[in-house]
Amino acid sequence: MPAIETGKLTKYYGDTLGVEDLSLTVESGEVFGFLGPNGAGKTTTIRTLLGLQAPTSGTARVLGHDVTDERELIEARKRIGYLPSDPGFDDSVTGRRLLDYYASLRGDTRSEELLERFTPPLDRKVGEYSRGNRQMLAIVLAFMHDPDLVVMDEPTSGLDPLKQEQFLAFLESERERGKTLFFSSHILGEVQKVCDRVGIVRDGRLVELEDVRTLLDRSGKVVRVRVAGTPTLGAFDGPDVHDLQVSGTAESDGGSEDTGDYGDHDDHGDQDGATDTTAFSFTYTGGFGPLLRRLLEFDVQDLTVEDAPLEDVFMRFYGASGDAPAEISGDASTTGTPADATATTGGDRTRGGGAADTGGDA
Amino acid sequence: MFEITRYESERRVLASGALAVGLALMAAMFLAIAPDIISQVDLEAYAEALPPAFSNAFDIAAMGTVEGFLATELYQFGWVILLGLYLAYSAAGLIAGDVERDRMDLLLANPVSRRRVVVEKFLSLLLPILVVNVVVGAVVYAGAALVGEPLAPVDVVAVHALSVPYLLTCAAIGLLLSVLARRESVAQRGAAGVVFGLFMLETLLTGTDYEPLARLSPTWYYDPMAILVESSYDLVGAALLLVAAAALVALSARRFTRMDVR
Repeated sequence: MPAIETGKLTKYYGDTLGVEDLSLTVESGEVFGFLGPNGAGKTTTIRTLLGLQAPTSGTARVLGHDVTDERELIEARKRIGYLPSDPGFDDSVTGRRLLDYYASLRGDTRSEELLERFTPPLDRKVGEYSRGNRQMLAIVLAFMHDPDLVVMDEPTSGLDPLKQEQFLAFLESERERGKTLFFSSHILGEVQKVCDRVGIVRDGRLVELEDVRTLLDRSGKVVRVRVAGTPTLGAFDGPDVHDLQVSGTAESDGGSEDTGDYGDHDDHGDQDGATDTTAFSFTYTGGFGPLLRRLLEFDVQDLTVEDAPLEDVFMRFYGASGDAPAEISGDASTTGTPADATATTGGDRTRGGGAADTGGDA
Repeated sequence: MFEITRYESERRVLASGALAVGLALMAAMFLAIAPDIISQVDLEAYAEALPPAFSNAFDIAAMGTVEGFLATELYQFGWVILLGLYLAYSAAGLIAGDVERDRMDLLLANPVSRRRVVVEKFLSLLLPILVVNVVVGAVVYAGAALVGEPLAPVDVVAVHALSVPYLLTCAAIGLLLSVLARRESVAQRGAAGVVFGLFMLETLLTGTDYEPLARLSPTWYYDPMAILVESSYDLVGAALLLVAAAALVALSARRFTRMDVR
């Protein structure tokens, strides 16, 4: 039995679209990341799954229970934890009173253990809590009855980086305990760290459903290579090469002429010979063999190959419909690049290239 | 069961205590000045000087006794208007306030039905109702004896006990607005407005051709003056108020069960 199953789930608020035709299945024991920018429909989906609002059409089941049937929903909630992004609490009561209150409603099997990891000041009034302490209290409340499924809406918001790490490590250990975790996020790093699978939602529609590995494989590798001499961009160009950029040289005498982005098919990029090494960066989606053979043609001084950050993968989904973030076109214009230089890859770019751009336009 | 009521009641302890103390002081003050006023002021002349609707509303002529004085000054004003508005206002925040501040999400993540949330939250208002009635009832009874104008104990009990259905009805009106309005402040202002409007309706229409309309107001069914001065208890009226309160709570629960919380 899947932990979460929606079929053509649609929610409109009057005429405003929340989500539309959302069909996804989260298996029991899976960690599922639900990605999308603010306003994409993540929270709408979560609130519908929790039965806080009724779907306009379509179906949704959690832990096998129909969310539109209150009796079934109550049965499901016994085994569900919910962690909102900005939890609403009564400010006038202490954390301990809230903990007792929720314990009386949902049961408490592990709050003591959780309070060793997450440490809200229980004897103070919640109104005096910092944002991070509120979130920690919410985490304890969400997990205290040891639910089988925990639904989280941007759970790390408000936590400081150290606590974020702790929380993600905690989710990892929960996964190992066989819990199903569903969480929305717009921070891709955390999704990359803990999720088995991701759904990407955009403008109320699910645009991609993949396991994280496939998504990363498909998104390719970021290759940064520094070679001796001044080969042209064409030297690295090829069908599996995207977003090719040449960046700074190590021993340039002038330093002003050595920046520039070149189009994939731009063959007139000779430098004036004043440099000894040239750095290239590109996103590579082919096999390793051809890449290594190509590299061997050069005197490689330095080489890094790493997974493309999910941010870039994400950008590709956004760039696809033409609304690429403004900064990308900005980069192109400031460096005088031909318009098609970066457009061919739909707007994703590597940071290496971006750093070089700044040299000529300060 | 009743975990929600317990929690919500606890949060009202301070306000209930403050309200009880305030109204007890008011009662004590009225009792202290009552004998003097009754003996010195010609209330009948005072009543004739006022517009009929006003003298009718506060039954000035009946103020010539301690019972009448208390009924008008303390119960008509403190209970029918002040407490009625307070309960309508408080109840209006019960649901709308939690929804507006995202607290309802967390509460509804528990295995509780929405009907239970509505009913238990409503029941938490019994705390201020009971505390205020017990405390002020005791103060009035003891205070009247102290100033040498003892009251019939049954009348004192009745004037407080029969106020409970009235106050529950006011609260139920607030509760209904709490599930109808999207914003807490709108629900609260609306609830206070409706309860006060109904009071005015009864006051203005009583004794006119439109008197049947006055029966729409809960104030019609709770008359402190009749209880204290004539020892006449409108038990049917109290029962009707309880039925009305229950119906309003049921309607609110039904509405809340079907609405989107967002």
